[in-house]
Amino acid sequence: MSQISVHVKSGQNNWTVEIESAATIRAFKETISGVSGVPADNQRLIYSGKILKDTETVESYKIQDGHSVHMVKSGGASAATTGSTTTGSAASPAATNSAAPSNISAGQTGGFNPLADLTGARYAGLANLPSADMFGPDGGLNSSNGANPESMLQMLENPIFQSQMNEMLSNPQMVDFLIQQNPQLQALGPRARDMLQSPFFRQMMTDPQMIRQSMQMANSMGMSPDGAASAFPAPGSASGAGGANETSTNDADSAATGAAASSTGQANPFAGLFGATPGNAAAANPFAGLFPGGQQPQFNQELLASMFGGNSNATGAAPAVDNRPPEERYESQLRQLNDMGFFDFDRNVAALRRAGGSVQGALDALLNGDV
Amino acid sequence: MSSLKRITKELNDLGRDPPTSCSAGPVGDDVYHWQASIMGPPDSPYAGGVFFLSIHFPTDYPFKPPKISFTTKIYHPNINANGNICLDILKDQWSPALTISKVLLSICSLLTDANPDDPLVPEIAHLYKTDRAKYEATAREWTKKYAI
Repeated sequence: MSQISVHVKSGQNNWTVEIESAATIRAFKETISGVSGVPADNQRLIYSGKILKDTETVESYKIQDGHSVHMVKSGGASAATTGSTTTGSAASPAATNSAAPSNISAGQTGGFNPLADLTGARYAGLANLPSADMFGPDGGLNSSNGANPESMLQMLENPIFQSQMNEMLSNPQMVDFLIQQNPQLQALGPRARDMLQSPFFRQMMTDPQMIRQSMQMANSMGMSPDGAASAFPAPGSASGAGGANETSTNDADSAATGAAASSTGQANPFAGLFGATPGNAAAANPFAGLFPGGQQPQFNQELLASMFGGNSNATGAAPAVDNRPPEERYESQLRQLNDMGFFDFDRNVAALRRAGGSVQGALDALLNGDV
Repeated sequence: MSSLKRITKELNDLGRDPPTSCSAGPVGDDVYHWQASIMGPPDSPYAGGVFFLSIHFPTDYPFKPPKISFTTKIYHPNINANGNICLDILKDQWSPALTISKVLLSICSLLTDANPDDPLVPEIAHLYKTDRAKYEATAREWTKKYAI
């Protein structure tokens, strides 16, 4: 039979043991006692939540190569129980290890660090959670060395990520943290808090469509470091804007138009942008309430970048327009809607389009009879 | 089904790199029904004990929390005679970002630091607050009796 290598964990100690997969647990314990010095009789081995029985074999518990088994010393326990007051006196270094992540622990006293949760989730290795990989090697939106903006958009369409974003933004502590971390938000003062907590803003941050447009706009405004996608001509130059129309994509057009409008001093630069985009699902302009006037595009771009951990360099290439058929593009969302009892395909697709792929938004639309 | 994929993923991660003091895996062939074991934290009256728990995953996991209860008797203000656990992250504070591994670690830390202000067993919570030494002695006794 095959030889496998198994890690044995006991408190702070960690040994690696080679064992035949056909060997009995008793033999396994003897092998462990060789490296750990704990007699086989005093060992309790635990794998997959079960105590391993001496007479069974290693393979019967499906222990695989590279997996870990816990070992508890039954004799060692008496040392801890003899002390009259165990707290403090018998505390071993292992105690710090067994504590939960600080933000989960019941008696949380330490400083608030919302990012601990993200790193914790990454540690758990869940495919669906945002991890450093998703943001590319430079950890951000800067695509100069090949990070794909499309992958970020895909992530934004992920319902888990959306619910996390929602949760994050509804958490007052998180809002404090964001404001603290960002000098631009600090400068805004109490308005920053209002803005972050407004449902408009939340919708904006969790709506892939919206982010997509912001990214495209940033591109077309020439914020990319190499200027490759600078379809946007000098502000205020009407003929330049016309020239751009001939060469750039539809969306970039409207971004250019919108930005040009801002340069002529209209109160709300975003109104033009979102109004002019053909087939844009977001009928209401969420920016309107947020920015009563002034130079906002720059600020918004940097805010976006900082929220996603990147630097303020925008993406180098405009993301491709998603031309897949709706049943493919919204596959998971449609399934969720079906699970919830909405079976009208056309209405579901219309609602999802309207909500930019957000199930929550689509539900609102369906329930309000908007589609 | 996405819950199946997620549970299988968690199972793989637990096998390869389990937390120091917890272990979990399916009872039989049903991946929605697990058992777990928690080794009593060394700095608690539960030290030396191995406590077993049963875990039931809902089909819409991770959007709904798993149902977790102790199958080993334990003397604790937040765990009752049926093994039910009073822990916020298993109820209204659940988040899809949490994993079984993190939940088990939270239960471990609950063993070290009970929360007598939100008790499930008021008598134990009262003792915990008024006569800590007696509470610890009883908890040690139960650990010895049921978990060693």
